Order: sequence, then structure tokens, then C-alpha cells
Amino acid sequence: MAKLTTTPPPSAPKPAPDDEEEDDYMSMTIHEPTGPLEKETYTARRIRIQRESEARSRSKSKSELAAAADLARDSALSTALPSTSKGFQMMAKLGFKPGNTLGSSTNTHARTEPLGVVVKEDRGGVGMENEKKRKFREEAAAVEGIEKRQKAEVGDYRERVGREREEKRVEGLAWAAMRVLEGLEAPGEGAEKVPSGKVNVLWRGLVRERKEKERERRARYDLLQSLSKNASYAEEDEQDRQALGREEEDVEEEDEELDAFIALEGKERLRRLVGCLREKHFYCFWCKCKYEDESMDGCPGMEEDDHD
Amino acid sequence: MDRRPNSQENGRFKRRKTADMETRSDPLLTDMREASPVSSDDDGGVKLEGYYNKPAAPKQEKENADVESKLLQSHDDSGSSSKKRQRKEEEHDSKPNPYLVHQYEKPTKKESDPKSNPYLAHMYEDEEVEDKGYNGYSHGYGKPMNRTNGVSDASTLARFPRHKTTAAMAKKAEDGPYNPFSGKPLSSQYVNILRTRRNLPVHQQRDEFLRMYQKSQFLVFVGETGSGKTTQIPQFILFDDQPHIQRKLVACTQPRRVAAMSVAQRVANEMDVNLGDEVGYSIRFEDVTSQKTILKYMTDGMLLREAMHDNNLQRYSTIILDEAHERTLATDTLMGLLKEIAQRRPDLKVVIMSATLDAQKFQSYFNDAPLLAVPGRTHPVQIFYTPEPERDYVEASLRTVLQIHASEPEGDILLFLTGEEEIEDACRKINLEADELVREADAGPLKVYPLYGTLPPNQQQRIFDPAPPPRRPGGAPGRKCIVSTNIAETSLTIDGIVYVVDPGFSKQKVYNARIRVESLLVSPISKASAQQRAGRAGRTRPGKCFRLYTEAAFKKELNETTYPESLRSNLSSTVLDLKKLGIEDLVHFDLMDPPAPETLMRALEELNYLACLDDEGNLTHLGKLASEFPLDPTLAVMLISSPEFYCSNEILSLTALLSVPQIFVRPTSARKRADDMKALFAHPDGDHLTMLNVYHAFKSPDAQANPKQWCHDHFLSLRALQSADNVRLQLRRIMEREELELVSVPFEDKNYYTNIRRALVAGFFMQVAKKEGNSKTYVTVKDNQNVILHPSTVLQQESEWLVYNEFVLTTKNFIRTVTSVKAEWLLDIAPTYYDITTFGTGEVKNSLQRTIEKVRRKEATKGPGRR
Repeated sequence: MAKLTTTPPPSAPKPAPDDEEEDDYMSMTIHEPTGPLEKETYTARRIRIQRESEARSRSKSKSELAAAADLARDSALSTALPSTSKGFQMMAKLGFKPGNTLGSSTNTHARTEPLGVVVKEDRGGVGMENEKKRKFREEAAAVEGIEKRQKAEVGDYRERVGREREEKRVEGLAWAAMRVLEGLEAPGEGAEKVPSGKVNVLWRGLVRERKEKERERRARYDLLQSLSKNASYAEEDEQDRQALGREEEDVEEEDEELDAFIALEGKERLRRLVGCLREKHFYCFWCKCKYEDESMDGCPGMEEDDHD
Repeated sequence: MDRRPNSQENGRFKRRKTADMETRSDPLLTDMREASPVSSDDDGGVKLEGYYNKPAAPKQEKENADVESKLLQSHDDSGSSSKKRQRKEEEHDSKPNPYLVHQYEKPTKKESDPKSNPYLAHMYEDEEVEDKGYNGYSHGYGKPMNRTNGVSDASTLARFPRHKTTAAMAKKAEDGPYNPFSGKPLSSQYVNILRTRRNLPVHQQRDEFLRMYQKSQFLVFVGETGSGKTTQIPQFILFDDQPHIQRKLVACTQPRRVAAMSVAQRVANEMDVNLGDEVGYSIRFEDVTSQKTILKYMTDGMLLREAMHDNNLQRYSTIILDEAHERTLATDTLMGLLKEIAQRRPDLKVVIMSATLDAQKFQSYFNDAPLLAVPGRTHPVQIFYTPEPERDYVEASLRTVLQIHASEPEGDILLFLTGEEEIEDACRKINLEADELVREADAGPLKVYPLYGTLPPNQQQRIFDPAPPPRRPGGAPGRKCIVSTNIAETSLTIDGIVYVVDPGFSKQKVYNARIRVESLLVSPISKASAQQRAGRAGRTRPGKCFRLYTEAAFKKELNETTYPESLRSNLSSTVLDLKKLGIEDLVHFDLMDPPAPETLMRALEELNYLACLDDEGNLTHLGKLASEFPLDPTLAVMLISSPEFYCSNEILSLTALLSVPQIFVRPTSARKRADDMKALFAHPDGDHLTMLNVYHAFKSPDAQANPKQWCHDHFLSLRALQSADNVRLQLRRIMEREELELVSVPFEDKNYYTNIRRALVAGFFMQVAKKEGNSKTYVTVKDNQNVILHPSTVLQQESEWLVYNEFVLTTKNFIRTVTSVKAEWLLDIAPTYYDITTFGTGEVKNSLQRTIEKVRRKEATKGPGRR
């Protein structure tokens, strides 16, 4: 009965010992083993001690030391002097309290903290550090954006890859169709040259691309030439070029019609090309042959799928 | 602007901070035009002592010089010295290395005459210059009331109503025909100078100035460079204030010694009087004033020193603080002091002169004092920014310099970089590239000159060489390019600069009280500093300034002004000064920019450990004594306690050596040879003892026969050693006055060096580092900072405990100038600081604990009594 006197009054909701066991069963946590479960063998102990003493005696590398020194410095620099210091006590006798500043009470310039110490480790100019930070932030934001988008698409990875492959294929087909159309429409060898602006917009892209390539090639050639050339040989000037009739090449730079066409999706461009081939030339891009008339007998249909 | 701590100028030596060489504003560099740097010795110095108890007998400066040269001669010719030399040569034969002093610890033959011992350098002094001059101190310090002056009552001036004069009245007096102050007829030179003076911008506003000056106790005057304020304003004041009638003086302070000297000379010429008569100057080593003096140019530190003995600055009727924008510690302290004095002395007038924009700050600090601004005489400077921040500011500056050279019209270039190494490197690269430009693009010749504080004066002088001419008539113009630290920002003016390249950095020295480190780090400059740099391009004609940062960075990243010295310094010296100035409440002392409380906390704590202040914060006897020395408290305490260690002669020399710039010279071109030479003097126990060996060798007759050659041969700085000599003499005077014994033990005594090392501990016990385990690093006691020995050290043996002269943070945490000591000494000499209970657990505490036990055991075996 003596035990009873020590137990708390029944109002205090103390779980009975048997309840506790039940609770334990329900919310059992597995504790980390606090010590070696079995007794350490002699050899294991010897190895452990050896390893520990090695770690202790190993002299730290220069970079480790430097890092440790920097860390100690930075932490000490950011720790205020304690108010137990003699200096503080002497100041306290003059009425100084923690958080106060020195000087006249109306002075707003008074410092509360000592000047910071910033070690500059590179030779970046003024503002470079912040510029770097800004760029880093921007990049981080950009990466985040991509990640977000990718997260949404994570499920349909296959779909996306498939779509990309399809887009590429359609693009290839469109170029092929353009070449076919060119073969059908381009004037023959001897015929008068049609200015590129007047060529059918559907395959004008082909012409432009070819010209760009040519120009690039010529520029590279000129560059090579000029390097070996004596500086006194001036390059062809404006008049020379006009005289040589080369100036028209620069004319077609701005071609809104073509740009508008190229801006279309690959599928649409292909559809138009195929349509044009059929209507104008009775040519089926899918059958790869020219038909006699517009009825195009024998062709299964407009779409690629029809030609399986 | 230039807020570099100007340790030399505040009238109190700092311990030599070798690392600050780069930014140290070398007074030598100031106004090189006016004063030849060779003749003006800036290094170290001793506070004014003339008004102390024992003014030396006044002698004429000229006489002194004569006596000095005679003495030097007699010394050189003296038979005794040649005998000594002979004796020493004999020694040379037996010992291959005369400077390896430790080899002498057991000398083979005993010298009976200590005077012939080359290592007791103090012995030489007796036969040398006994009173080396500089005793002109007393000149300006006659009792003011008895002073007479040359102004006769009949002079025009005498009828001027004081503080009611006008410019017209002054003009009449200036026109003569008699000098209004000396009463002598005016010279023709005077008339010529007067004409140019009246063209100066300040002259236009003389009346306005006078009205404001008369009305108010404080006046803030802003005048840009070239306005003539430093020379003219004090003269304007003389005519109105008439100090001679009051038997008082007008003082004008300068942050730099050389400026004080050269401006005083200039003004003496302008006033047609001899320097030292009506116009004089007072700097640490010299007091060129007399009973007649009514206008005194002086360093700000000097005025502060005077205030310590004349708390109300009673001798002065007007005090002008010039170049206040530089915000040296001494100027800032003076401003705080003058605010208090002005309340006690309503008759005192104070004029604050500044060159920059922050005039409003001065105004509000001085209770909304009136402000007068005078435009300067400068040309417009076009400023260019880069569109993008630079990846590498050094590379960008080289590119910019070459671009200017290749494409801009005639005009010299000034490039600001941060330190000696960077500058030398840049010079080399520019030279290489410029040669190529000359060969390939037909550019004009380009001469490149480096400029930094530690550069020998003759090389500094080269920056004034004219730019090279074009290679052929009509060819591309030749020009010079000066690559400089921020010395060229304020301290000196180079004419002909048209292009300034400003990468926006300088090395700045900042003391941090938390870990007691002096950091010397490359940091962005302030806007004010950038403006000052740009202004350098417009001295002679319109110029261009290329800022190697974006305009946005200029606006956002640069501070408005450079931090004043009071925020960047260890305050223990200043606290001692203020105590001596009678300021009791340090906490509320009204500084313009009060530093962080922790800085004061640390200073008080250090002074308390040094026993200069008691626990109540009152000056102790030792503190009073220490404040008599123009030294850092640490050094002063070491010097004062050195007689107890029987080595005050040696510690005196060492203190002098630590108060002057680096004595070792290590040119980039001959590092190896310089190191070899230094090794001759090396003492295995450390750098302090090595420096002492150098000094002793320098004082030997051998070296004194031709000190210049000797220093050159041994890669030592003659300038530094000579000024150490000077400082030593000044300090010795103070020691004698304060009746501190000058003692030594014979060099043969086995404790000769031990005594010195123990005496070091008496001052430097708070600057001790302990070796960390078995690595090469050390850790500072109490602050627990990991530090490494500076590569310049001669210390070779492993030493567990070291005292260090300085802890600097440059690229790494370095301790510099170290000497090995023993833990027993620390516990014995500084028991309060090394109270074991105040240490946190760690290697330092354990080691000290072991030492305590060891000492106890030793004592137990030896029995009772002292070890």
C-alpha cells in the first residue's frame, strides 16, 4: 500500500505500464546502435587506434590549413568582444551600455560594428563580383524554369522524343519537296535568270540558302586572299562590284514573303508544297512520280498515310 | 580622399608597419618640387620637446649644422676609430662572417675595452655627436606675454580695428611701402609675388571671407586644389586677427611634414620675411619659429602634442585646420578637442579648410558653422566608363594605357594600381607592348615609371623627367606613363598628366579590434577618391579619365568617402593622448566619425594590461610616463621597463629601428643577393635581434667610414638607418629627462641576448603566437588565429613561442618580425595576461599549464627562493 501513496492522483492521465507496452508496439522507433553490438576484437581495436592516431598525426595539407585559418578568422571577425572584457567594464563606468555607440548622442555617423574585412582573391574589376552574382541568379532562374517545364513533361518523355524526331523528319521532307518543285519549275540552263525575288516562294528558301553558302565560301576565300595580299591592293570597292554585276546578291536580304513562309510549321510547309506539286504539276510527292492529268489516277491520296 | 593612416605625422610614432609601405603616404613625396626628397628626412621622429621642463639652450640652426659636420669629420679622422678598425679587422681574420653575432657568444679573445666592441653600438655615441641639434625647439616657446615684435605703433596695421578690417584696408597695408609686419621696406620680389597672389581665386572673395570670419567662431572653408587657400587664408587672417597685438599666434595645421615646411617657406617669401621670423613652421624634428613668429605652420600631430601641455591652446588666437578632408586621426582628434576648447575660450577662432564635397558634414559637426566655397582652378575632365565590368582590372588597365598611347593626342598618362609588385609587373608589360607598338604601328616612344612609397627617392624623382620627344620631327608624340599607388592621388602633383586610368582599387589598411589584425587589402576606392583621381587629369589642360568600371558600379558599389583614419586604426595611442589631454569621458568624446565601441574597448583593455590605465580608466604613473614618449604604448612600455632587464641601450636601439621604415632593401632585380646579405646579420633567435645586429654593424667604424657605400653593399636602407639613429637620439633625451637608466651588460655575458628577448616580452606579451602541433603554422594567443611566419623572417629553428611585431592580413594571415621567447617568461613577466584561468581549453592552455608545473617542480627541487 505504501506504493499507492507515491502514485499520482487518478486525475493525472498517466498511462498504465501495460498501456505503455502497447503504445511502444504501435510507434516503435529503431534506435541507432549506441555502441558496438559485440565486443571489439583485439585486432579491430588495434587497427582502430592506429587509424585514429594516424589521422591525428597527419599534417594537414596547405589548402586545408588555409581553409581552417580563413574559417577561424571569419568566425572571430563576426564575433563581438564579450562584455566581460576589462575594456567594456571601464566603458561601463562611463555610462556605456551594450548597443550604444560612441561620441555625441546626436551623431548619426557613429559605427556600431568594426569595419569588415573582405579578402579579394581575384582581379575582377569593380562591379564584377555583383555582375557575377546577378548572372548566377539569372542562370539559376533560367535553369529553374527549364526544370519546371521538364518536370511537367517528365511523364511523356517518349512522346516528346517521338515528336521531336517527327518534326525533324517532316523538315527533311519539306526540303526534299522543295528540291522536287525546283526541278520542275526552275528554268533550264540556257534560260534567262529569274531574280530570286520572283521565284516561287515555296522553294525560294532553297535559292537563298544556296546563295548564303556561296557568299560564305567567297568571304572565306577573300579572307585567305587578303591575308597573303599586300595591303596596298585595296579590295574591290563599291564601284567595282557594281561593274562586275555582283550587287544584286545583296538585294534579296529582306524577303518578308519568304520569312513568313519559313516561319510556318514544318507540317504546314510540307502540306503546301505537296499541294502545289499536285495541283500545278500533277506530281505526287509520295508516289514520287508525275501523273498525266489532274485526276492523278493511281495515286492513293493527298496524305502520306494514304501511301502505305 | 586620401585617408591613409599617416602614422608619421601625428606626432607619435607607430610601430613600424612594414606592410603599409604601399599605402603609406610618404611625406617625401609631397611637393617634391618644393623640397628635395633627399634633404627632407621623414622617417620617424620624436615629439616636440621644447616646451617641456628642460628646453635645450637655443642655438642657431646654422651653427648646429657646422658643429655637426665638424663632429662628423673629427670622428672620421680620429685615431681611435682607425685603431678600432684595425682591431676589428683582426677579428675578421679569425671569423669568416663578421655579422653572425651569435658566433661570438664565446669569444676567443676578451676585449678589455668595451668601447672597442662593435656590438655595443651605444658606446660609439659618446664620442660622436653629443647634441645633434634639433634644439631649436625652444624658439617659439618664449613666454608669450613677453614677446616683442617688429610692429611699431606707427605702422598701418596698428590702427586697424581688430576683427573689423576689410579687404581694401588690407590691400592698402599690403601695398606698402613698408612691410606691415616687420616694418622693413618691401622688396621688388614681394611686389611681383603680390601681383600673382591677387590673381588667385581666393582673393576675389577676401571681403566675403573676412565678414564670415569676423562673425563666427567656427568657419568651414572649401577650396579646391589650386585655389590658393593654404597660402592665402592664413595671411588674410593675420591682417584681421592681428595676433601680434594679442601676443598670440595663428596656427595652420597640415597632415604632412613636408607640406608644412614647404608652405611655410612659400608664405615667408610672400610676406617678404625670413622663414623662422614672422612665419615659421614646427614639425617633429624641427621648430623653426622665434619670438617674432605670428604665423606657424605645423603638423596636426604637433598641435595635438602641444595641447597635451597647454590644454586650452592659450598661445593661439586662431587655429586653421587645413586639408581636413584627409581626416587623419590627429586632425579628427583636434576637431573634437577644439569643439571643447572653443566653449572654454570664446575668443578662439577656428577655420576648417577642406578640398571636397563633404563640407556639409563639417558644417553640421561644428554646430552649423557658416560655409564659404571658392572654386579651384582646374580644367574640365571628360570621364569614360566601361560598358561591362572588367574580368581582370590589371589586364584591362594595360590595354587602356596602350590604347591611349596608340590613338590619343599628346599628353602623359597616370595609371593607378594597388601595390609594388603589381606596379612593377605592369611596368614591365607596358614596356614590352609599347616597344611592339613602336615597331609595328609607328607609335611614339613611351617611357614608363613606377611610383610607390618604398621606391628609393632618386627613382621617385624620375617621374618628373620630361616625356620623350617624338622619334622624328612631326612623328607620333612621345609620352610618359606613370604607374602609381594612390600616392599620386593627393600627396603629389605631376604636371603634364592628361589621361588618367582608374581601375577603381587601392590597398587600404584597416585595423580590426576583434582579432587585432591590421589588414592591408585591395578594396574598391570611394567616389570622392575616384573624383580626386579624375581631377589629376585636369591640372594643366582639359583631360580624360578612363574608369575601368561601369557607371552603375560607380554609383552603386563605391562608398561616398573613404573611411577616416579613426575608423581604421588601433586607438590605444589615441586613448593615451586623450587621457593626457584631460579628456575623462572617452565614451562621449565627440569625434566626427565615432568608431565602433569594440575598438575603444580593445584599446582600453590593452592599456590596462600594459598597466598604463588602472581599472577605473585613470592614467597610472607608467601611463603618464609612456605618454611622454611619441611611441605606441607597447613600445613605450617596453622601453620604460627595459632597465629592469639590464638592456635599455639595446631596447632603445630596437625601439628606434621598429619606428622607422623597413631597413632591409630587397630589390626585385637582386632578391637573392639581398637575402644573402641579410643572412650575414641573421640571428637564429629572430628578426628583432637581427635588426639589432644590423644597427650595431652600421654603427661600427667600418661602416661609418662610408655609410652610403656600406648600406648599398649590404642591401640596407641608409635613410631608414639614419633616421633610426635620429629617433634613438630623441628617445634617449626623453629617457634621460625621465631619469630612466641606460644600461647594458657586456656583450660577452651569456645573458646578453636573453635579456633583450625578455625585455621584448615586457612590451609585446599581447603579441605572442604559439606553434601548432607539428605543423609550420602558429596560433595567436587568446584570439586563436592561425597565422604563418612572413617569408622575410630569419628565424630558422623551431620555436614554440614567438613574439611578433605585427599581425597583418594580406593574402594570408602573416606575423612579421618575430623573435622566439619562452613560456616561462610570459608567465613571469606578464602574469595578469597569462592568468591561466582566463584561457579557453586548447593547446595554448595545456602548454602553459605544463610550463607552470615544470616551474613548480624546478622550484621544489631547488628549494625555497627564486629560481
